[in-house]
Amino acid sequence: MPASMKLIDTDLSRQILAPEDPQGYEFLQALVRLHGVPVGYVKLPVKDGNFSPTDLRKAIFEQNGSAIRNHLLRDWLATSTSDKFDVEDFISSPHESDDKQWPLVTVAVCTRDRTADLARCLDAISHLDYPLLDILVIDNAPSARDTEQLVRESFPQARYVLEARPGLNWARNRAIEEARGEIIAYTDDDVVVDSEWIKAIARVLVENAEVMAVTGLVAPYELETEAQVLFERYGGFGRGFERKWFWVDTASGESVARLHGGAGKFGTGANMAYRRSVFDLIGRFDVALDVGTVTNGGGDLEMFFRVLKEGHALVYEPAALVFHRHRRDYDQLRAQITNNGIGFYSYLVRSAINYPDERMAFVRLGLWWLWWWNIRRLLISFARPSAFPRDLILAELRGSLIGLTRYQKSRRMASRIAQSFAHGETSALASKEERKS
Amino acid sequence: MKQARADLKQIAVRMIDLSEPIGQLDDVSNYRSARVFVMWKDHLLGRVDVPTHRQTVSAMRLRDAIVDALGPRLINAILRERYALEGESADGEAAQLPASVSVSVVVATRDRPDDLRRCLNSLVAQQSVRHIEIIVVDNNPASGLTPIVVAEFPRVMLVAEKRKGLSYARNRGIAASTGDIIIATDDDVTAPADWIEKLIAPFNDPNVAIVTGNVLPLELETRAQCLFEMYGGLGRGFERRVFSRDWFDQFRTAVATWEIGATANAAFRAAIFHHPEIGLFDESLGAGTHTGCSEDTYLFYRTLKAGFTIVYEPSAYVWHKHRREMKSLRRQLYNYSKGHVAYHLLTLLSEHDRRALVRLCLRLPQEHLRRIFTRLRGRSDYPLSLLLLEMAGNLAGPLALWRARRQVKREGPSEPYVPASERAIAVQGHCSD
Repeated sequence: MPASMKLIDTDLSRQILAPEDPQGYEFLQALVRLHGVPVGYVKLPVKDGNFSPTDLRKAIFEQNGSAIRNHLLRDWLATSTSDKFDVEDFISSPHESDDKQWPLVTVAVCTRDRTADLARCLDAISHLDYPLLDILVIDNAPSARDTEQLVRESFPQARYVLEARPGLNWARNRAIEEARGEIIAYTDDDVVVDSEWIKAIARVLVENAEVMAVTGLVAPYELETEAQVLFERYGGFGRGFERKWFWVDTASGESVARLHGGAGKFGTGANMAYRRSVFDLIGRFDVALDVGTVTNGGGDLEMFFRVLKEGHALVYEPAALVFHRHRRDYDQLRAQITNNGIGFYSYLVRSAINYPDERMAFVRLGLWWLWWWNIRRLLISFARPSAFPRDLILAELRGSLIGLTRYQKSRRMASRIAQSFAHGETSALASKEERKS
Repeated sequence: MKQARADLKQIAVRMIDLSEPIGQLDDVSNYRSARVFVMWKDHLLGRVDVPTHRQTVSAMRLRDAIVDALGPRLINAILRERYALEGESADGEAAQLPASVSVSVVVATRDRPDDLRRCLNSLVAQQSVRHIEIIVVDNNPASGLTPIVVAEFPRVMLVAEKRKGLSYARNRGIAASTGDIIIATDDDVTAPADWIEKLIAPFNDPNVAIVTGNVLPLELETRAQCLFEMYGGLGRGFERRVFSRDWFDQFRTAVATWEIGATANAAFRAAIFHHPEIGLFDESLGAGTHTGCSEDTYLFYRTLKAGFTIVYEPSAYVWHKHRREMKSLRRQLYNYSKGHVAYHLLTLLSEHDRRALVRLCLRLPQEHLRRIFTRLRGRSDYPLSLLLLEMAGNLAGPLALWRARRQVKREGPSEPYVPASERAIAVQGHCSD
């Protein structure tokens, strides 16, 4: 069984402190930051219930030297104004001047029946370092009024909105409807956001008019159980520590599916933000996808794909950092990995239906992924049994196959939901996306 | 506004200086990409290619691209600056040459009045403490196009050379020059104001006989211009290099003198032109002859063989306007390929350097095959038609050399170079007669 890991958060520009209690852990994983911006991870063994800060410091520079160097260079280039440069200026150049005109940003938390998680999430959101926030809690088809009570009593700065139609994408679309900000940043209730999260997102969108979507780094909140460690080993949600720019020249026939069809590389719905105006151009989230429907996922990936397919730019910005509390329980992990398979293939089917020009590329991608990710890993697990639990690989393979048929079914169910709720103002909610199709 | 791809121009060439804040790149949205040359304190760090996506390139994206492409170089430049010795310049370049050293610039031209005017404008604007003599050699006096342009520049001297060929023209200009250092450049070149001082600084080392500089594309508007850069262009990178007899001797196949640079941007100690083992440019090589080029590489060859040093100084850059038309590009590459073979044959025949045979019979065919395979496997965008054209040029090389040498026999050799001091005595002696 993989060992649990003590997670610490260190900033080079501050003192590196010993964590309170590495007792009982075999490993320690430090998220290394410089001026608050994450630059990498460092993993260290814990000896006799303790670790040496000297070793930590050494490991930081051994493993993250180039990331630190690039971070300093970017800061220096961003703030340099004079011809008189020196190493001292270079080391101490301030991280970004904060004299910007920041736009109003809506933070949307979509939740369902998880008040303990939500309380932690909203607590972190209320510590965000950002001057103009509009906090929205979208309560999706709740079974009780606990969420409403929690928000109204403990977080009066947040707006509570009930979305009765079940499905995460109904909730996300409701957030678009309710948002007051020009930018909508989505996160989930099992997430704890970093205080710089929104600033990092807004900076990219303010300085780059052509960018329509920003995804960010999702780090583990804790790695206490086997299931959590396995999820990180499986790939986790993090997508590295370098800012990445994605753009496809669709006008001259480049295929988005071929280049970026595996949209999971951009990040996840737990940490994504959009210019609100982009939804008028490319439509809203597909209500037949994601958690709460039979597709169980894929709604975020499908939107990443659509942003690129419609010719817009997407940026992965690791400075936009959130912490995700992975499922603690092994059965929950297995269910989630099955759902990943269902969600991913539902996204492929949905996109292949809606974009005939990308259809062949999606078929190829679907087959390749089935072989490369599912079947090949399964074969490896027979040769090297310790690599990754076989039942998890089988779970995803099963999910992938199920996922091939789920989208059409979900589509029918979504239109039934839309009909049954189609009275009063809710009819206006039928997304532009639906009108299009 | 977004543009259809067909309307897009190729590559926007820009230069930025890191001692100023990095702004966004405006006016690049109708290009496929932007090629940004990055300066830091008079030092050319390197280049970055940024796709435009038919938009303005934001400062943030440009900064990311610079750090990705040039991060280590930038760190080195900063550290070198920090740990520089007293009185040493930031990039370790040599100090300025004494003001008493005089310089002549020789520009050979043939019926390109507009290019020549632009070139001369940048030459008369050179910032220097020393006397700079500018000599234009008209290689087609019959047309009368060149004297009109030269007349606009009172400081510029005009000499005529009727015999066609860049080597004849350059040699004529060199014979007329009085400088201790002679700089060769082309009429389709423009230079920044500090070019000459940077280019001649390495002559502080007495063993340095030639300095070559970097040649950057002035524009990459057309496909032909981009292909010329892809072929290799005229620049030789952003790292300073020193070539010596040791380097010359280390080759088992032919000496790769084409890595040194080109006479679009090169400075020569005048003394080498009357050195018994070096002399002037070989008239059977060079533009305007049957061989088409290589007069510069052959001079580099003889200079290194004589034991002198050549320095490639990348910070001394000029801008070169590549041919815009596909037709001119094809002619140029065909000529280069002819001249390349002619050069090797000449080192074999005149210098008895058998390494040329290895190059001609083994390496060159191998290289062509490798490039064709790379192209066929889709690992390169360089067109197959140009590869075939280069091979055809190579095959035409021997005949071209034979014809060129026959022509030189007919037309006679250039006048030998007489050093300016001895010349003065000769003139005085002549007067006293």
